[in-house]
Amino acid sequence: MTTLTATSEFTHSTAPSADRRGPVRWITWHAVRHGWLFLVMFLGAFGNAALAAAVPILLGQAFNIMNQPNPVVNDLIPLALLLAGTQLVRGVLQFFRNFGAELLGQRIERDIRNEMYLSLLGKSMTFHSLQPVGDTMARATNDVREINFLFSPGLNLVIGSGFFLLVPIFVAPRYHPSLVLVPILFLIGYSLALWQYLHELAPITTDVRRSFGRLNTRLAEAIDGIETVKGSAQERSEVERFGENARRYRDAFIRQGDVEARFIPLLLLVLAEAAGLLQSLLLYQQGLLDVGQVIGYFGLLQLFGFPTFTSLFAYSQVSLGVAGARRILELINRQNDLDQNVQGHAGPMRGEIEFRDVTFAYPSGEPVLKDVSFRVKPGQTVAIVGQTGAGKTTLVKLVNRTYDASGGTILVDGIDVRQWNLEALRRGVSMIEQDIFLFSRSIAENIAFGNQGASTEVIEQAAEAAQAHEFITGFPESYQTVIGERGVTLSGGQRQRLALARAFLTDPPILILDDSTSAIDSATEDRIQRAIYTAARGRTTLIITHRLSQIRWADLILVFRQGRLVAQGSHDELMRTSEPYRRIFSE
Amino acid sequence: MGFFSGLDTEGYDRQYTDNQLVRRIWGYFSGYTRQLVIVMFLVSVIAVAGALYPVLVSKSVDALGEDITTQQILLLCGAIVAINLTSWCANWLRRRSVVRIVGNIVMTLRTDVFQAAAEHDLSFYDEYVSGKIVSRITSDTQEFGQMIILVTDLLSQIAQAILLAIILFTIDWKLTLFLLAFMPLVFLGALGFRSLARTTTRRGMRAMANVNASIKETVSGIAIAKNFRQESSVYVEFDQANQQSYTVNVRRGLVLSLVFPTLNALMGIVWAALMYVGGWSVYMGTVTLGAWFLFIQSVDRFYFPVLNLSAFWAQVQAGLSASERVFALIDAEAEVVQTDNKPVRALKGDINFVDVHFHYSDQSHILNRFNLHVHPGETVALVGHTGAGKSSIAKLIARFYEFQGGQILIDGQDIRSFDLHSYRGRLGIVSQTPFLFSGTIAENICYACPSDATKAEIAALAGQIGDGEWLEALPQGLDTEVGERGVRLSMGQRQLVSLMRVLVQRPAIFILDEATASVDPFTEWQIQQALNLILRDTTSLLIAHRLSTVKAADRIIVLESGVIIEEGTHDSLLSKGGHYAGLYNTYFRHQSIDYRPEGLDEFLRHKAEIPAD
Repeated sequence: MTTLTATSEFTHSTAPSADRRGPVRWITWHAVRHGWLFLVMFLGAFGNAALAAAVPILLGQAFNIMNQPNPVVNDLIPLALLLAGTQLVRGVLQFFRNFGAELLGQRIERDIRNEMYLSLLGKSMTFHSLQPVGDTMARATNDVREINFLFSPGLNLVIGSGFFLLVPIFVAPRYHPSLVLVPILFLIGYSLALWQYLHELAPITTDVRRSFGRLNTRLAEAIDGIETVKGSAQERSEVERFGENARRYRDAFIRQGDVEARFIPLLLLVLAEAAGLLQSLLLYQQGLLDVGQVIGYFGLLQLFGFPTFTSLFAYSQVSLGVAGARRILELINRQNDLDQNVQGHAGPMRGEIEFRDVTFAYPSGEPVLKDVSFRVKPGQTVAIVGQTGAGKTTLVKLVNRTYDASGGTILVDGIDVRQWNLEALRRGVSMIEQDIFLFSRSIAENIAFGNQGASTEVIEQAAEAAQAHEFITGFPESYQTVIGERGVTLSGGQRQRLALARAFLTDPPILILDDSTSAIDSATEDRIQRAIYTAARGRTTLIITHRLSQIRWADLILVFRQGRLVAQGSHDELMRTSEPYRRIFSE
Repeated sequence: MGFFSGLDTEGYDRQYTDNQLVRRIWGYFSGYTRQLVIVMFLVSVIAVAGALYPVLVSKSVDALGEDITTQQILLLCGAIVAINLTSWCANWLRRRSVVRIVGNIVMTLRTDVFQAAAEHDLSFYDEYVSGKIVSRITSDTQEFGQMIILVTDLLSQIAQAILLAIILFTIDWKLTLFLLAFMPLVFLGALGFRSLARTTTRRGMRAMANVNASIKETVSGIAIAKNFRQESSVYVEFDQANQQSYTVNVRRGLVLSLVFPTLNALMGIVWAALMYVGGWSVYMGTVTLGAWFLFIQSVDRFYFPVLNLSAFWAQVQAGLSASERVFALIDAEAEVVQTDNKPVRALKGDINFVDVHFHYSDQSHILNRFNLHVHPGETVALVGHTGAGKSSIAKLIARFYEFQGGQILIDGQDIRSFDLHSYRGRLGIVSQTPFLFSGTIAENICYACPSDATKAEIAALAGQIGDGEWLEALPQGLDTEVGERGVRLSMGQRQLVSLMRVLVQRPAIFILDEATASVDPFTEWQIQQALNLILRDTTSLLIAHRLSTVKAADRIIVLESGVIIEEGTHDSLLSKGGHYAGLYNTYFRHQSIDYRPEGLDEFLRHKAEIPAD
């Protein structure tokens, strides 16, 4: 089911490939896959509009009956029944239009989210390292939802009101050909006015959104930091700042209200009704129309009310949906960097690591590592120290090819990492990051994540070695305890130990640990340290650490400063040769 | 979308009565009487014009009965155009006025709330989660504004409908009653639908929350899944959540798709009935043809206001609840009350707690007959288990909370007699998780700068911390952007910036609640340097979590359950082997340079057994 192709790291065999050349093409491709729903929607919309026209027409006929010198009232009955009947059928058709659009929207939302997720799974580790989860989530929930709304209510109303605009144009001539004039003029005027209105409104609504965002952000900061605000006696200046933001929002809000108040299509509507009435009365005077037809025509013109009132909302939904699609497509279309190298080296790993003149810079250009060279023997424990921004985390990510170096070479077991088979390389290097992610599943499932068929003994062994067995059995459900939002919350140290157990289970020759948890009490510290020392035994271990004891007892210490390796050696060597290093070990 | 609004609001327990709220809300309108009168006037104009329009049209239908002249036609159509133009202009002006009134009132309300919130003491912030406070200030005020707009819109429609009803009544009361009899049916039908839609929406929201959580987890877990090559298994989980979301939403969509078709069909039946009954009335001569037309035209002029009315009560309630949440914030009681307003110019930093009693709002006593005298320039470290009272002491000195008994004297004066703003200006406070605002490092350091502090002074001070090395690690030095809440800096760097903020302020009293998060040893050393600079010139109270801090203190106070049980220097206390020694063993032992963790000896032995290559 999973295949590693040449350029993506994961593909699902049943997913068809969409047309991703642009947001509109993409959405259309998805819509076409559910073509029959479109048909239902169209027929429903057409029927709805056509039968809506039945009301004024039938009323007009009723008037003609009553306008005769000796009307027979009961002649009205078949008309009334027809009217009621057509409106009932119309209700059914309108339902089909609505529900068809709704189904279309929901299906496309589901399909697009699926496509997006599969695409994410196929992206490289580089991509995931650079892409913030919050941004991905916003696109996966909000933007996808906007595409749903594009269809329902967006296109639903657009198509619906489109028919309401066309029906009077096609039905009016049955009374008299010249009556088509006013509807056509209205259509033209309405389109122009609407276009101009949307054009004028767009920058203003962006402004409103932006000033609201600014208002919110600074306010949230002030409230979160209220202790700092009060402690520095800055309440008054914060209130002033807030007042300024609130004023700016009010101005944008009023600007938007002003534009919305001036909704021209509404004026055009009443002018069209008056013009139509005028024309039909003149025709009546000339004997070309009868009373019923005048009334019928007037009622037809009133059909324009629906598009006038709903179009604004509908069109903005459509444009929001396209914007959302653009954002999602941008994410999906972002290039992949690494290839699988299936022919590469795939033998057993000893765990020797060498960096030769390695340089690395982010795609945006900021240099992170400069001319880094060192060599680690298999089984050695290496402590990597330095201030934040020194490049430590980036350095270790070069070992398992989350990133590729911009210059220099990285060798594992004497072989360039680019010549290793990627899968084999990653299998041999296990990484525990600073932010440890655990699934909302049982502890046992989390520990066995890399090895889903592992037996209970194996899992417990790993947990023991990671000093986690004790606290796990302390929970009422022991290894079956569910963790996460719907379960138990673990402390930082507990999460770290679970991650260690998870790594133990895969028994990698190279272990990379980005250790930033701090223990508040010495007993927990003892346990964490013990777990780390157990993990480091018998394998090459790179630890990014702050702990003096780990630094001191490591086989090799690498000191980084602003991307450069400024000192390396054992503790005793560094105490002799490096002043900054000596400082951190002084009282 | 008036009819569908407010389906997903949660219930809210109301404490203020509707009357109190309305009266209070009305207070905010008091400055706008002139504009309100204008709006009322415009609403009447719109109502009259809106009612006259169908009447004029029906008059022209009547005129069709006799021979109609061109002049009559032009006159009628001209009148129609004039009326509609008037109505449109009046509506335009009305919306402009309303949007200004609402915009201004919401702005005033927002500023009032924030001002009140900023002045509240910390016990208020313990009770309300910060996210909720923010949403009350921005979203609830917004909701309140929307409610006002909705009310004026609806008033407009209802005025028009009532006027029309009166006109119809004068033409034929029987037919009017027949027409209006349908309206309660419509109203009830609409209410029924809203209730159904509400239920499915609520159920849908609950399901969606679960689904979103699943999606969030599977998206966040992609990196780990790739790490362990478990892409297929996370995909399966995601797919399930995605399908479930689809099912739930389709069900909700089904209900919502039914609403308008049903209501429209109902309207069609009303038309059909009116056509027949009205025809009889024409036959019997009680109404003219034109009037018959008028009645039929009027159906949807009653219909839509009735639909909107069905949503009205819920929307008003939602608006009132929103305003109540806002007022509740403003009205929260202050606990810290000053007796006087004496300005504080310079302090020596003498702190004296005399028989102080203190407890938080609903908890047992933290401090009981507590006594402590800190001399000017002294550095005091507070240690003890969680809940011993360490941070309470610090918070009382900062006057963040009110104490219930005894006295706190600063430089011999009652702390309650100070003007709080000027008193706090003489304090320097760094909390456990140092807080930074988005902006540059320089802006953060100078958050509370005296107005004459220059960039050069800041740079000079920054240089005093360990040769200014810490600045070189930052891409743009003092001009580096720190991001929201300082997210672009490490914990250690944030601590440094907070300490620098204090250095610039040059306070008389320094209060530090040390962070427990681990910091790299180089930054740690720089923090030490910064701290030493501060401790030199101030009276300092440090809630200590670092070994270096307790060692540097002039005096260590050991607290347990709000009582001082030991006092002395680090060495003297350690040799006593009492409570302090126990604390040291639990919290500070692993910070010592000579710490040998468990498992180390085994580890080193194992290393010695590996043959070197």
